[in-house]
Amino acid sequence: MADSSAVPGSRSSLPLSVLLASAWLVPGLGHLLLRRRLRAVVFFAVILVSFVVGILLDGELILPQPGDPLSYLAAVATVGNGALFLLARALDVGQGVATAVSYEYGNTFLLTAGMMNLLLVLDVHDIARGRKE
Amino acid sequence: MPVDHFTLMLLHALLIAVFFSFLWKPERRERVRYFWKVLAILALGAVAVGWLMFPFPRP
Repeated sequence: MADSSAVPGSRSSLPLSVLLASAWLVPGLGHLLLRRRLRAVVFFAVILVSFVVGILLDGELILPQPGDPLSYLAAVATVGNGALFLLARALDVGQGVATAVSYEYGNTFLLTAGMMNLLLVLDVHDIARGRKE
Repeated sequence: MPVDHFTLMLLHALLIAVFFSFLWKPERRERVRYFWKVLAILALGAVAVGWLMFPFPRP
């Protein structure tokens, strides 16, 4: 469980829980707070491009559907997009057009963006804990 | 947005390769080598799998 105090030896004075929440909310922000600027910029750009392409390809931000167990797994990846997911919901985009020829491509880009961002949260955890440089 | 199967597959492979090379490799030289390796595996692997599936069309 994430504690509320700053991580000893970490490059950031912020508590681990804040670092993890920041990493989830904005792709690359966790790395930026840990002073990994280059990685932060690259991760932000990669996830943003993947997310925007997914939306432009009529992909769907999949949420849990009763009776469809796989949708729960997809929802984890969708919510993993953090602020991008929240922004898309607020702007009412990412509903998906199931009949569009690019629908499945769009879903792939959106799910990949979310999974990559969740991996970044784990990476920030490891860096903050000193398990990784 | 143009929908071309191969272009989209290459774009996806490119994004994945950049992401994992920066996630897992700390040094620049290592990153470059790893990037090309992952990109080649994803792109050529997809083409190879496509050819392997060719004799088995959907009913």
